[in-house]
Formats: sequence, C-alpha cells, structure tokens
Amino acid sequence: MNPFRRSPFVIIASVLVYIFLYAPIVGLILYSFNASRTNVTFEGFIPAFSERIVMDGSLVKSSPCGPFHWYCDLAKNQDVAEAAGNTLTIAFVATIISTVIGTMAALALQRYNFKMKPFSQLSLYIPIVIPEIVMGIGILTLFSQFFGWANNFFNLVGDARLSMGIATVAVSHIAFMVPFVTLVVQARLQGFDKSYEEAAMDLGANEWITFKRVTFPMILPGVMSGALLAFTLSLDDFVITFFTNGPGSTTLPIYVYGLLRRIITPQVNALSTVWILVVFLAVMALQVLQNREQKPQH
Amino acid sequence: MKKSNLFKLLVLVIMASMVLSACGGGGDATQAADSGEKVTSTGFTCPEPSPRMEVTSTQVNLFVWTEYFPPDMLECFELVYGITLNRDEYSSNEEMYAKVSAGGTSYDLVQPTDYIVPLMVRNQLLQELDKAQLPNISSYDPSWLDKSFDKGNKYSLPYLAGTDAIVVNTDTVENVPQSWADLWKPEYAGKMVFLDDSRAVIGLTLLTLGYDPNTTDPAQLEEAKAKLAELVPSIKTFDSDSPKTALIAGDVDLGMVWTGEAFIANQENPAFQYIYPTEGAILWQDNWVMLKDAPHADAAYAWLNYTMQGDVFWLTLRDFQYTNPNKAALEYAKVNQPDVYKAYADSPITNTPAEAVANGHGIEDVGEATPLFDNIWVEVKGGN
Amino acid sequence: MLQRLRENKSAQGTLLALPTTVWLFVLLIIPLILTLIVSFGKRSPDGNVIYSFTLDNYTRLFGYSTDCPDGQASCFDPLYVNILGRSLSLALNTTLFVISLAYPLAYFIARAHPKQRNLYLFMVLIPLWTNFVIRVYAWMMLLRKEGAINLILGWVMNLLNIPFTPLEMLYTPGAVLVGMVYEFLPFMILPIYTSLEKIDASLYEAAADLGANSIKTFLRVTLPLSMPGVVAGTILVFIPVMGTFIVSDILGGRQVILVGNLIQRQFLDARDPTFGSAASLILMVMTLIVTYFYTRKFGFGEEIVVA
Repeated sequence: MNPFRRSPFVIIASVLVYIFLYAPIVGLILYSFNASRTNVTFEGFIPAFSERIVMDGSLVKSSPCGPFHWYCDLAKNQDVAEAAGNTLTIAFVATIISTVIGTMAALALQRYNFKMKPFSQLSLYIPIVIPEIVMGIGILTLFSQFFGWANNFFNLVGDARLSMGIATVAVSHIAFMVPFVTLVVQARLQGFDKSYEEAAMDLGANEWITFKRVTFPMILPGVMSGALLAFTLSLDDFVITFFTNGPGSTTLPIYVYGLLRRIITPQVNALSTVWILVVFLAVMALQVLQNREQKPQH
Repeated sequence: MKKSNLFKLLVLVIMASMVLSACGGGGDATQAADSGEKVTSTGFTCPEPSPRMEVTSTQVNLFVWTEYFPPDMLECFELVYGITLNRDEYSSNEEMYAKVSAGGTSYDLVQPTDYIVPLMVRNQLLQELDKAQLPNISSYDPSWLDKSFDKGNKYSLPYLAGTDAIVVNTDTVENVPQSWADLWKPEYAGKMVFLDDSRAVIGLTLLTLGYDPNTTDPAQLEEAKAKLAELVPSIKTFDSDSPKTALIAGDVDLGMVWTGEAFIANQENPAFQYIYPTEGAILWQDNWVMLKDAPHADAAYAWLNYTMQGDVFWLTLRDFQYTNPNKAALEYAKVNQPDVYKAYADSPITNTPAEAVANGHGIEDVGEATPLFDNIWVEVKGGN
Repeated sequence: MLQRLRENKSAQGTLLALPTTVWLFVLLIIPLILTLIVSFGKRSPDGNVIYSFTLDNYTRLFGYSTDCPDGQASCFDPLYVNILGRSLSLALNTTLFVISLAYPLAYFIARAHPKQRNLYLFMVLIPLWTNFVIRVYAWMMLLRKEGAINLILGWVMNLLNIPFTPLEMLYTPGAVLVGMVYEFLPFMILPIYTSLEKIDASLYEAAADLGANSIKTFLRVTLPLSMPGVVAGTILVFIPVMGTFIVSDILGGRQVILVGNLIQRQFLDARDPTFGSAASLILMVMTLIVTYFYTRKFGFGEEIVVA
C-alpha cells in the first residue's frame, strides 16, 4: 500500500540529508567549547576550573567556568544582550501589527468585493517575488529622501531628527511580513464553512458578535500560523535590517555578521548554541501547548 | 490554539524580551564606592576627564571601523560622563560613505581615511571643528597635523595611522617577497589574501608599473587594470574585515594587509613578518570628522577630548596596535606602562622605520577620476 | 455613518484592506518606482544621482561598452552578462540539488507514521530557526583548511595510511553552492512534504489494484501530484538565491560575484546607485520571467505554500 515506505534508498537518503542538515550545527556547538581562542581548529575542551583565566598562547588552559568559558564570556557581553533585546522587540511589535492588518486584509480579499481589490491582491505578491536586496535598498532610499525632506521642512534638530533606527527596521519588517500572514489566513478562509456563521446569524447574533464568537476562533489557528511565520521571518532577517538600521538598533543577525568581521572567538559559537537552544525550547513548548489543546479538555 | 495558551505564549515572549533588555542594562561596571573611582568590567580604573566638558546630550553615536576601539576606552567614557555610547561599524570607507551620504542617519562622528575627507567636505557632509572646544589637541605630535588632505585640520583630527604592506608566513613561504611586483610570481598563486580596498590595490599595481598610485591618466590606468587582472585569479580571498583570520588559520600564507592585522598575526605566530615593499608601502591615516547634522555635538566633543588624553589613548597601544600620532599617549605609556611601550616601539610593524615612511605613498582623493578606479575594480573582480 | 458603513459591503472591504495596501504601497511600490527613476539617471563623479533620462546603465549591463581595445568605437563587454549568467546557473544548480535532496526526505516524512511526522518536521525546521548568518559561518568552519571536514578526512586517511593534503574547499564557487543548498533546503522540504501528504492513500491502493509496480506508481501517481509542492519550493528557493550576497561574500572570499553582490557593491563600494538600481530591476525582471514560465507550466502551487 505504501510502495516506498520501506525502500532502503529513501531511508538512506533521508538519513544522509539529516546528517547534512545537522553537521554544521553539531560543529558549531562542539566548537563553542573550544580551548583555542582563535577557533581555527578544535583544540579540545578546556580542562580545568580555576579562579582566573589562564592562557597559554592562544589556548585557554583553565577558567572560572571551565569548559563553559565562552558562555561566561558571552554573558558578560552587553552588546549581545542589547542586540537580542532589539531583535525580540522588533519581531514582537512587527508581528502584532502585521498579523492584525494582514488578517484584516485576508478577510477583505476573501469575502468582499471592492474597487481596490485587484491592486491589493497584486501588491501582496510583490514582496514574495522581489529580491530582498532590492527591497532593502529601495526602502533605504525612500527613508533617506523622506527624512531629509522632513528634517528640513520641520526644522528638526538633535534627537528629534528623524533617522534610521528601531522604528524604521520594524516598519520595514512589517512590509515583508504582511503578505505571508495574509496568504496563510486567506488559505484558511478558503476552506471555511460558512454554515456556522449562517447558523449564528439565524440565531440572532449580529455581524460583530458572529465574527468574535464564531469566525475568529475558527480562523485562529491560521492566524497563529501566520503570526508564527511572520515572527520567524523577522527574527532571522538580515538583508532588510542591514539597510534600514541605525545606531542602537543592531539586531542579532547584524551583530553576528559584525562579529564575523572581527577576531572570531568561540564566543560566536556560544551565542549560536544559546540561540539554537532557545529556539528549540520555544518550539518544544509550542508543541506541548498544541498537544495539550488536542486532548479533550472542555 | 486555545486562547489561554496563546495568552501564555505571548506572556512568555514579553517576559523573555524584558529579561534580555534588562540583561543589557545590568552587568554594568561597578564603582569603587569609597573613592568614587570608576572601574570598568575588566578592572581598569578610568581616568578623570580633563577638562570635563559640559554635556547635555544623553547619548552619542559613533560610526567607526571594526576592531579599532579598546573596550575599556568605550566603557570609561560611558562611566565618567554617564551617557550612552552607540557604535555602528563598517569595514570600508566606501561603505561608510554610502551610508552617510544616503542620509537619514543620526551619527555624530565617523572615521574616514585621509583621502575620503576631501570627498566628504566637497559633498557638504561635514561640519568644521570648533577648536575652542578641543583643548586636548595639544596631545598630538604636530607632525601628524596640518596634512595636505585637510590643511589646518578644519574638519578632521587624526585617530590612528598605519601602512599597507606585505605580510608573510616565513614558516610556509620559502622565498619571501620583497616588493609588490614579487606578488605576481606564480609560486604564490592561490595563497594570498588581499585587502578589499580598490584604491590601495590598484595603487600598488600602479607602483609596480612605476606610476603614481594617484594618477588619473587613463592610459596608465588601463595598464594597471590589465596587470591587476593577471593577479586577481591568484588571490584566494579579498578581506578587509579580518584578513589575519585567514592567515592564522592557514587558509593563506601571505598577502597584503594593514598594520594592525600584521601585528596580531605576528603575536599569534612570530613567523609572520611584515615586509615594506621596495616600491613603497601605502601610508594611511584614519581621522575623526563630525557630521554636519550631528545631533549630539557636545557629547562628540567630550568624547574627542576624553580619548585624546594621554592616559586614555595609550589603551590603543595595548589593544589595537597601529602607528600612534598621540604624543601624550606615548609619553604616558613610556613612564607608566613600559612593557606596552616597548612592544610598540620595538616593533617595525607599528613603529614604521623612517626609510619606509620616506618611501611610502599616500592615497589621495582623485575627484572626478574616482569612477575610473571604481570601474577597474568591478571589472577585474567580476571577471572570473 | 456607522450604519451606512454596516450596509456598504464594498466600503467595509476597502477599509479592511486599506492598512495593508497602504503599507505595501508606501514601502514597496514607491521604492520600486524610485529605483526605476534612479536607474535612468547618471552618476555624478562623487557617486550621487543626477536625475536625467538615459539608458546607459541598462546598455552597460548587457555589454555595450565604449572602453574597447584596438580603438573600436563600441564593443561587447560580457562582464555583467557573465555575472547574470553565473547567478542564473547557480540558482538553477542550487534548485536542482535542493530538489534531489529534499524529495527523498519529504517522501520519507510523508510516509512515516503520523505521530512521528511532526517530530521529523521539527527536526528539519530547527536548523532553519537558527540564524541565517550563523549557518553560513558554521560552513566556514567546516570547510576551511584546518576545519572539521579536513580534520576528519585527514584522520581517516591516516588510518588508511594514504597521504593526505588538506582540501581547499573554502573560498571557492563550490563552497558557495554548498552554502546555498544548505540554506534553502528546508524551504523545499516543507512544500514537497505538504503536497505529498495530501495525496489520498486510496490512490495508491487503486494503482496497486490496477497492477502497477512501485516505480510506475511513483512516476504516474506520486510525482505528478507532488508537482505543486515542487513548484512552490522552487519559487521559494530560486528567487532568494538570485539575490543573496552574504553566502558568496563569506564562503566565496568576496571573489564569487553574483548579481546580489554586484548590486550590493554598486550601492556600497562603487558608489553608483544608478547602475545598482538598473541591476536591481533587471534582477527582478529575470526572477519574474522565470517564475512566470515555470508557474505557467506547472501551476502556482499557492495552496501548498500556505498549508
């Protein structure tokens, strides 16, 4: 019945692909314990715990944190904390806004007919086909021109001057996140069974209550999927952020890219490992939450 | 997903971001409560600013080179003045210029290399420095001031200087090259790292042909393009971010790098030698300039004065070894940090020998001819 | 007025779609128009834009050059066409590799026990959820001369007593290909999985009943029905590969120049926003053309992307 289910070819190929997917990750995590500061080749784990950091050339002989030396190093790094905070703030704000307006747009496109409709539909496809670099540079140009004009026109000086920063990054993120949210919610709406809504209206509910009590809960999984997708896109974004950020708005991807331009110590690996761990835990938490919901709990 | 679970997830995310932002604030350096001294997280005691300037801004925005600032210097400034220092970085002048000239940025200070300063002046990106607010100019060795690219230092002040020359791993390379022209030899093919710097690389090519690295003669530039095109396939990687990494990692054995990188490579492995080529090394100098619309000019002046102090600037001798134009810092180090001073003075990498200086060439702004150089660069690099 | 709003469905629709449409218009369409305008401009000596109308940037892209040997008035300079070609071929190669790696794995997951499927899927997603830049860096560490791969190979070769010189894998076009394939692999696995999973199991029964063997079933049933997934995945892979500059920057030693790098350089290093804008638009047009022909042949696969 499942002709290829146990085909050895498929199984071997899959195992190899998984190895391919995880080899760099494993290497990354392993090297985060590297005794060598220059992190060129793996020189083994840091052997001993001690009061102070003892170096021998570029090898760390012992450290207060032992093998976790680079993680302690990372914890002392304020730039990372700031970048992480920025990344989460931007992702969070951008996700909320794009989910709200994206869901609204999906409802509009799926259920209504209005003059602007073809234009709206078309503009949603643009971020998907436009290469990120084109988008990033375009947005940068737009902001620069606009800020230049606005600063002059309103005579803004000092800190009141409009400039690139967290706001511009968030605004730009929303632009490429919205189409994904809209697409996902639209798909959910496509398979939507209107009979529930009709039943509610027959029973006397007005449109708003129908929406709140019937429609919205039923599309909520789609909305959450869209929001999650959007959140991921924002967290991981590099190119758009690269062009639209300013002082004090560094995000983690930008920060890591910057780190790669300096002396690459295993601290980068420690950061990567922590990042992987956080994502892993969050995903597991989501899984648990989802599983719990599926058990009959009413 | 149930509404309650959704809510829990949102709360989790909010808490996570709050915790992380708080982490950014915490971990600040401690203060020795009794003496009122400011101490950084590495245990360095911050000197008091002299003179202490009036600063009303709460932050200052620097747009600077990567790997150029002793962390203690940055931390001390934040501690003694109690304002936030924001730092964005770049690794090429062109990148900096593109971002600054695009507008919409809110940087106060940037660090162009010498030949970019006239370009920025011409495009009205800078404001003149108010010398009245810069009493610590006296820290400088006068021979580094009043240079041709900015007479009278109207717009710029030196930060650090250095050279671009040849670095060689004498353990793995048998015949050590002595001139730029030597790098074209087939024995070095595939083993070299070069800076991703169009003016410097085209410049050295011109030198091998006996021309001026700042020539605008199209015929000479054509020759240089052809010669450079021969070399590019032999270059394993172009790297202006951290070329020492490729050297230390053994991915390449020699190349063209600048002072600081060569010094670090040499410290990792004394087999790395820095050779001043016979045609002459490239001399350069990085400078502070203040952008025209700098939102926090007062903080910028405070930063400049503070870092120009001898007891602060000597940190560069310790952390990022380049040629140092700050007389006060050298004198301070000579007395108080003799090991650091000795390492600096003894190294031919940082303490450029007089003959190399005399023989060296600076890169100059070529004004209208800039696109010629740009085009050559794209063509030779995109060619393979 | 609220009453009128309640009754006017068309107005409701407009209002709901308005924020998104405005956002996209301002942040995407206007910049695109700006890019278009700039692409027809001239470059000032210092790298600023002189607004005018000239096709020079486009002709330059396609090889028209006045900088000719032997004093010819004009000749063909294939430099940029080569870059475009190289990017296209890299995108194609990447897509092919990605498909051949993704399909077996997607098939495996789709045919696995339903309870295990989520686990396998998450295992695919987790590397994706780490950071893009970090993943590229990880490959740098694997591929370099004293990196992990050479270490392992050297150790194995030593055991077998075969002389071994470390492979120079980093800073080559091959490294860029590997990096690209790695980055975009999950984007192909997911859509293919989704379309495979949707195939009704009874179709397999029917095929078996009709006497088809495994291979025939695959070719006649599975493969065609999974095409929407392949199409969706191809779009998700092809377009970004054309525009990526980081992978070729970091893994290619700044030597492998793709369109993405070209554009980035024009704006940052060469300070020629007019030429960069023209290149950007040509890139967009190229991706649109390829996407159009591809989806015309195979359908859009839209339902797969969102499942």
